[in-house]
Amino acid sequence: MENSTYTTLTRQVGLMREMQVVANNIANLSTTGFRQEGVIFSEFVQSVEGGPSVSMASARAHDTSLVQGALTRTDNSLDFAIEGDGFFVIETPAGDRLTRSGSFSASAEGDLVTNDGLRVLDAGGAPIFVPPGAAQIKAAADGTLSVDGQPIAQIGVVQPTDPLSLQREDGVMFNAADGYEPVENPRVVQGFVEGSNVDPVGQIARMITVQRAYELGQSFLDAENERMRSAIKTLLK
Amino acid sequence: MRALKIAATGMAAQQMRVETISNNLSNMSTTGYNARRADFADLHYQQVARAGTINAADGTVLPTGIQLGLGVRPAAVSMQLAQGALSQTGGDLDIAIEGKGYLEVTLPSGQAAYTRDGALKRNGEGLIVTSDGYPVSPEVVIPPDTRSLAINPDGEIYGYFEPGTPAQLLGQFTMAGFTNPKGLEAIGSNLFTETEASGAANVSTPGLDGLGTVRQGYLEDSTVDAVREITELIEAQRGYELNAKVISAADQMLGATTQVR
Repeated sequence: MENSTYTTLTRQVGLMREMQVVANNIANLSTTGFRQEGVIFSEFVQSVEGGPSVSMASARAHDTSLVQGALTRTDNSLDFAIEGDGFFVIETPAGDRLTRSGSFSASAEGDLVTNDGLRVLDAGGAPIFVPPGAAQIKAAADGTLSVDGQPIAQIGVVQPTDPLSLQREDGVMFNAADGYEPVENPRVVQGFVEGSNVDPVGQIARMITVQRAYELGQSFLDAENERMRSAIKTLLK
Repeated sequence: MRALKIAATGMAAQQMRVETISNNLSNMSTTGYNARRADFADLHYQQVARAGTINAADGTVLPTGIQLGLGVRPAAVSMQLAQGALSQTGGDLDIAIEGKGYLEVTLPSGQAAYTRDGALKRNGEGLIVTSDGYPVSPEVVIPPDTRSLAINPDGEIYGYFEPGTPAQLLGQFTMAGFTNPKGLEAIGSNLFTETEASGAANVSTPGLDGLGTVRQGYLEDSTVDAVREITELIEAQRGYELNAKVISAADQMLGATTQVR
């Protein structure tokens, strides 16, 4: 009897989640290398004894937009952006992680590290050592770093074997659970970082849609509540 | 309702960005100033439905699952290590560093600090000091009867005395290089001190070990690019407004919830 209430409730819960995702996207409007996230609603059909089946809405999946973000010039010789497909590989205590955020620096030990101090790996999976006395560091378009004209390492640019398996982690990182493979012909740009690829107009439009849909759901619940109340009143007379 | 708090982290981030930009703009004419840039990273993700969770009796697994992000955090405010333009001043103790490296200065506490501000002066004893009066290390004293000074690209300081007498070498500037100059701690007055992150100073002669050379009669301009800063400012302001909009939308959704009886 209360199926209509429960069906609406599943939608309301999903909308709340979507609102949170929209809020997270907008909060990360200026996060270097951030990838916009979306929620996918799916239908969950349940058979009911002696009646028609009930369809519930369920926000059970998300997708990551892999659209290229705008490149911002920083002029730092250790800032890199990837044009096109691919991710940088970062070594973390929990295993290798992928990121599009190429705001790097040299650690006191001379390793190329992220803003969180995690080491960046080269195409062979080894940390990259930047000589301390280097006067000029140049990166070729394929990510080959050269110091004073001598090539030292090639920055690893990889893509996940299964893009759907990417799990987000703190620090603009992704965990590629199914492993990753090198990108053919990567394009690395030095002195730039890639901005967030969040589309503010789309997100605000989505936010308004979510908000109105939520209000619609609430007024439906209200009307349903009213209907049951009058039904009970009538039956008890 | 987490959307409120997430949008609040976004507002705080944009505000920090505006603060960084305003500091850059106010240091547009500061000698040897390097523009700073605020960098952000996303916060922890909450796992609502893990990818790979079994979804149906036949073993179908969720391909992507649901992860809800919890907002944004500041990751770094880093210096943009670019060479500033050199402007000619003609001052005999105005020096600009072309390339990497810092001049070493001794603070009153005896601690070493580093600077790229080469607007040097001499004090009452003839000692070469910064605008704040801190002596440049190694200390060089200019005798009172010096008629003119010449500083060569290697940092050697020559004094000219009586006409006809050859120039005398008074001393030489040294320069300090760092493995990670972004890791230096700014202490104001164009000064930096070394930290764990920057590594120890590698003191050497200008022009050697990847260090820059010295140019007399010039000062290094600030690297702040007004056009870039203003563009960033517009972005930051709009970003702030968008986050504020999310707060009001989330609030209205909460309002709709409380109105249901």
